[in-house]
Amino acid sequence: MKAVGARLPRYDGVAHVTARSVYVDDVRVPGTLVAKALRSPHHHAAIKRIDTARAKRLSGVRGVVTHEDVPNNVYGHLEALGIPADEPLLAENDVRYRGQPIAAVAAEDSDTALEALDAIEIEYEERPALFDMRNALDPDAPRMHHWGGVYPHFGPHNHRRVRKGDVEWAFDQADVIVEGVYRPQAIEHCPLETQIALVVPEAGGRLTIYSCTQAMYFSLGVVAAHLEVPLNRLKFVGGTVGGGFGGKVDTASETIAALLALKSRRPVKWRWTREEEFLASSTRAPWHIEIADAVTSDGWVLGRRTVTLHDSGAYARFSPYGVTKHAFHHTGAYTIPNLRFDGFVVFTNRVPTTAMRGFGVTSVSMAVELHMTRIAEVLGISPWELRLKNANRIGDTTANRVAMQDPSTVPVTLAAAERVGEKLGPEYAAMTADRRSGDLLPEHLVAQQAPEGAHVLGNGGGS
Amino acid sequence: MQLNVNGVSRAVSSPPLTSLLEVLREELAVLSPKHGCEQGGCGACTVLVDGEPRRSCLLPLAAVGDARITTVEGLGAPGDLAPVQSAFHDRYAAQCGYCTSGMLLAAHALIERKGGPVDRDEVLDALSGHVCRCTGYVKIVEAVMAASRGQVGAEPIEQPLAPEPSQPEIEIAGSPA
Ligand code: FES
Ligand code: FES
Repeated sequence: MKAVGARLPRYDGVAHVTARSVYVDDVRVPGTLVAKALRSPHHHAAIKRIDTARAKRLSGVRGVVTHEDVPNNVYGHLEALGIPADEPLLAENDVRYRGQPIAAVAAEDSDTALEALDAIEIEYEERPALFDMRNALDPDAPRMHHWGGVYPHFGPHNHRRVRKGDVEWAFDQADVIVEGVYRPQAIEHCPLETQIALVVPEAGGRLTIYSCTQAMYFSLGVVAAHLEVPLNRLKFVGGTVGGGFGGKVDTASETIAALLALKSRRPVKWRWTREEEFLASSTRAPWHIEIADAVTSDGWVLGRRTVTLHDSGAYARFSPYGVTKHAFHHTGAYTIPNLRFDGFVVFTNRVPTTAMRGFGVTSVSMAVELHMTRIAEVLGISPWELRLKNANRIGDTTANRVAMQDPSTVPVTLAAAERVGEKLGPEYAAMTADRRSGDLLPEHLVAQQAPEGAHVLGNGGGS
Repeated sequence: MQLNVNGVSRAVSSPPLTSLLEVLREELAVLSPKHGCEQGGCGACTVLVDGEPRRSCLLPLAAVGDARITTVEGLGAPGDLAPVQSAFHDRYAAQCGYCTSGMLLAAHALIERKGGPVDRDEVLDALSGHVCRCTGYVKIVEAVMAASRGQVGAEPIEQPLAPEPSQPEIEIAGSPA
């Protein structure tokens, strides 16, 4: 443990400050072609016809690909986890967000590649688009996803559910019901290095893929699945990422660059422009979170009802996983024994949303913390004491019934209070994370406590 | 034509309207300036032209003439770091490193111009328009101030140089190019 508390130089620090760090864009391979993508100008449209003949004939164009060239066009990022696939690598029958890739070209230089994009003819039939996730479940909402308005594969349900304790009892007992709606918005990761891949066909048929991915083995699996090649045909090189923040978990550029490299039998580099990065790369999801809490006038939160909408954009990607994390964390740093949670992954005609720093959790943490403060305001009690009272304690169980062994809410809240000079009542100032006992073990919290030494009480899904 | 890059005269044949960024990276394989936006908005492509920071993505080759171009490759090398490079390394001012080249050159130009300690406002002014998505800027500003005071090297850093700002103060302004 020599590293803990020590000041260690970054292992890549000298390389960074001397610009010796090799990012994908810095890899030089002679004869590399430039890739460009034709992206949907519409938010939602049927594709009636794709004609690439003229583009293919242009001099300097070495490869043009559409959905017809992809061995396995529809592959889901989480298919390996049992989440079915819904997203084509290159659009086939329809486009569901502006910026969705339909075709891609590789050419000797970028002007030629752009000229080739212009030469591709596509006939669209525009359809009404849906942008506000709150309308997705309306009967007359534009239908844009073949699965309907929401992702339907949470076991037998069309949404992620948590049922714990007796929420009806809690609302019957409540002195006050405190409601709130919280709407964290989409955020673009905006890494300084845009999405980029360089794919080099090697003698013997392997592909070397220089990738900006944050998730090397994951990307390896996604590319292999689309191309229907064994993993050992692909050699991924990565590790130096010019900022990712979650956005480079999506396999955004490697597969299409690989297709073009196979088609042209030349090295191909695809570097997204800043405009593409803003328009077409995935973002953090916007959420719509509705919370109603059953509280007593002295500040116990007896029960919580939550309905969450998670804007997945046009395809599922990682959203079912994000909403599951959201569900598990929807009581935040606090223990609420009676819960009813319904979380929907909603489809809209926006760019597909994805991982970003605390995916699924930051959104609900923001909502929960604002809501705790709102409860304190409604009751006219200290927001500090409200938090400490309901804080996670050893032996308490989470929304998904995991017994907590070392929850940090109490020590962290006390430390924060000290730093800002907040004076707490003596019974709060003396609190620890220890198991609830005596005055701090009201009846409604007894039932949810795990016996000493227990870890997992029920199945994690809660549904 | 000839291009004077880091003190070496190099022959280039790109068309005159090619951006300096493209010429440096693609023709000369000088890779420290990065493609961040190619629109003058991020600073990742910054190089020094006769000692002044310029955005190479917006600068046509023809406009460079026989000016002296300095890139990070000309600033210092591993084992022989310029003060500003040392300070960035010592003080963790580079995270992913993609904005670092531009930051280093803009900072170096400021320190050279000032010839002595620079203050916080001067750093903020010199680095406005340089976008960093990783660091939150605090360590970058500290590193530039430390470099201007010659406070670089291996000895442990006792305390931050600048008082912690009450709020982020980097202004994302237009391009100075
Ligand atoms: S690449 Fe030149 S300012 Fe962004
Ligand atoms: S260190 Fe990553 S953008 Fe500045």
